[in-house]
Amino acid sequence: MIHPLPTPVQYLGEDGSVRPGVTLPGTPDDWYALWHTMLLVREYDRKLVTLLRQGRTTFYAQAAGMEATQVGIGRALRPGHDWVWGYYRDQGIALTMGARLQDLAAQMLGSNSDPNRGRQMPHHYGSAQINFVSASSSIANQVPPATGTALAQKMLGTDEVTVCTFGDGATSEGDWHAGLNMAGVQQVPCVFVCENNQWAISTPLSRQTASDGIVAKAAGYGMPGVQVDGNDVLAVWAVVQEAVDRARRGGGPTLVEALTYRMGAHSNADADAEKTYRSREEVQHWQARDPLVRFERFLERQGHSISAAQRSEAVASLHRQIDEAIQEAENSGQPDWRSMFEDVYADMPVHLRRQYQQLRLEQEAGQS
Amino acid sequence: MTTTESRPAGTSGAGESTTLTLIQAITLGMQGEMRRDPRVVVFGEDVGARGGVFLATAGLQQEFGEERVFDTPLSEAAIVGAAVGMAVRGLRPIAEIQFADYMGPGFDQLVSQAAKLRYRSGGQFSCPMVVRTPSGGGVKGGHHHSQSPEAYYCHTPGLKVVMPSTPYDALGLLRAAVRGADPVIYFEPKRLYRAVKGEVPTEDYIVELGRAAVRQSGTDLSLIGYGGVMPDVLKAAQALGEQGVSVEVLDLRSLVPWDREAVMASVARTGRAVLVSEAPRIGSFMTEVASSIQEDVFDSLLAPVGLVAGFDTPYPYAQDRVYLPGAGRIVNAAVQTLNYG
Ligand SMILES: Cc1ncc(C[n+]2csc(CCOP(=O)(O)OP(=O)(O)O)c2C)c(N)n1
Repeated sequence: MIHPLPTPVQYLGEDGSVRPGVTLPGTPDDWYALWHTMLLVREYDRKLVTLLRQGRTTFYAQAAGMEATQVGIGRALRPGHDWVWGYYRDQGIALTMGARLQDLAAQMLGSNSDPNRGRQMPHHYGSAQINFVSASSSIANQVPPATGTALAQKMLGTDEVTVCTFGDGATSEGDWHAGLNMAGVQQVPCVFVCENNQWAISTPLSRQTASDGIVAKAAGYGMPGVQVDGNDVLAVWAVVQEAVDRARRGGGPTLVEALTYRMGAHSNADADAEKTYRSREEVQHWQARDPLVRFERFLERQGHSISAAQRSEAVASLHRQIDEAIQEAENSGQPDWRSMFEDVYADMPVHLRRQYQQLRLEQEAGQS
Repeated sequence: MTTTESRPAGTSGAGESTTLTLIQAITLGMQGEMRRDPRVVVFGEDVGARGGVFLATAGLQQEFGEERVFDTPLSEAAIVGAAVGMAVRGLRPIAEIQFADYMGPGFDQLVSQAAKLRYRSGGQFSCPMVVRTPSGGGVKGGHHHSQSPEAYYCHTPGLKVVMPSTPYDALGLLRAAVRGADPVIYFEPKRLYRAVKGEVPTEDYIVELGRAAVRQSGTDLSLIGYGGVMPDVLKAAQALGEQGVSVEVLDLRSLVPWDREAVMASVARTGRAVLVSEAPRIGSFMTEVASSIQEDVFDSLLAPVGLVAGFDTPYPYAQDRVYLPGAGRIVNAAVQTLNYG
């Protein structure tokens, strides 16, 4: 158990030092991989903001500041084996689990190569290849289905685990309580992780709940709750890993609250975050707790420091990969209008065939 | 395509059959599907030891155990949402919502998750699941136990919407729903649960969704209904028949998809249509049928399409029977249509 440590669980001090009594998870190779994925999430974020500014996509919700939380969660899972019911902001989890950049980019653009076939607004990735269920926009409505998937895993006798993520705002919805309550009753192999980034658009945590942290709610549903420093990737990995392992062994669900911060705007529709609802000081406070910087300090203290040259080379290479992925997505063109009528049902019913025929005539008339 | 159904399609007079009530057919349907397919699970409020408040799941927990037939917390969001997640991971959930009137907390799960998942994921994920729920009036239940909310669901692409009125259809449609690849909301007209009995073959058969049934053939007028109103529709047809009117009666059986072809073929033949539903009139499913009739077979119409519906009031307790479109109102509407012009 992790209990001897104070709440929230922290493995690394802000200067990158290792907290006393901690057994670090992973090897230096794992640490390097974590760093590299966090850097990818950060640079992807930068590129996507640029893509938005250029008007080449229409919606993006930044994850900058939340890399440690998302990469730590993703690292605790077996890609292609475990399942994720996440939410729109979870690109970091997807990338850690091996999501293809081309797929993420294609979904951002709603282009022809999008695994979701251009069916949703940007930034609602999903991939059956890594059991990452396509995100819904409706806040918290992934929570009861996550419980259901975990229940199915238990009933089918698999040793799979489901991870369900959400923001702090989501914990106010009825669906959230319904899903956790049933998960507790059924003792399903599900790990619920709150990516508590302190804000739900412009609503602060204090307006979201009167409880002492989200983690306090775990007791109400009969499951363990752990609060973790969400800017400490090793602590998140360890805490989620322990919850995942317990779930895999039949030990039931856990609620994890990762304390973190979104450094950017809620989304592009919220560009004035700092002017309208949060203070400069607050943002600066959290910038000083940048999870990437902290991890680089840790690596340095461990004798695996990353040189400036190495870092800029890695950044340049990531930019190239991201650019290529976006280019490839753009080159795949727009989905054909015909596909609009597919996947509503497994087979197209007659009323949709009829509407399809009508549109076909209009399209053909328009094109001639 | 339409089946004429004094005798079920695909069965000869020689086939084995039993007489069942509507609710017995539903129970038998779940039992049969659970025996056939170990992935089928049944859950909801009080469905286990008690067998559901209407006893639709009676005996299932005894036969299949508490793993496959279980009581959930009192949460429609959890019930429908869990069904989504279970279906995605390879089970075949049948979720019971105790009354259709209580879908509210689970509505978002049904329309935003279940109905959209296949589409929004580009066909990568799907939810083959059935939500069963008693609906409709006539049981002195007041407005929170009597509503006919099917139109809300018909308006949701990605969902299939079913409402049987005979034991034969109840069983055949339930099997089709459970074996299908998409989420289905299966409304059970609760006042017919024990009020109708019918012959049901013992052999396996399904009733494909989207096929209307011709209950009676005729040449002067098409009476079209579904669900709880069907016995009254048939009564009205009989009364009209006694007055020398040849009435064709169609039971839609499923609303999404619905059998537009059968409706048009019938109305084109008779030239007159009266549509019957107990749901409030504004935005009801029958307004879609009426609009489609005038779109497709306007030239065949000898009179405006008649519509007998529930009133646009909340469902009243004391006036329970007055609210429902009984045979009398259906006959009146038919006479108006026949006397038009
Ligand atoms: C049911 C619902 N209500 C409102 C919205 C609009 N909305 C989109 S994001 C958001 C805030 C979500 O905050 P949180 O859950 O904390 O996640 P975060 O975006 O901060 O990561 C709101 C209110 C929505 N998408 N769904």
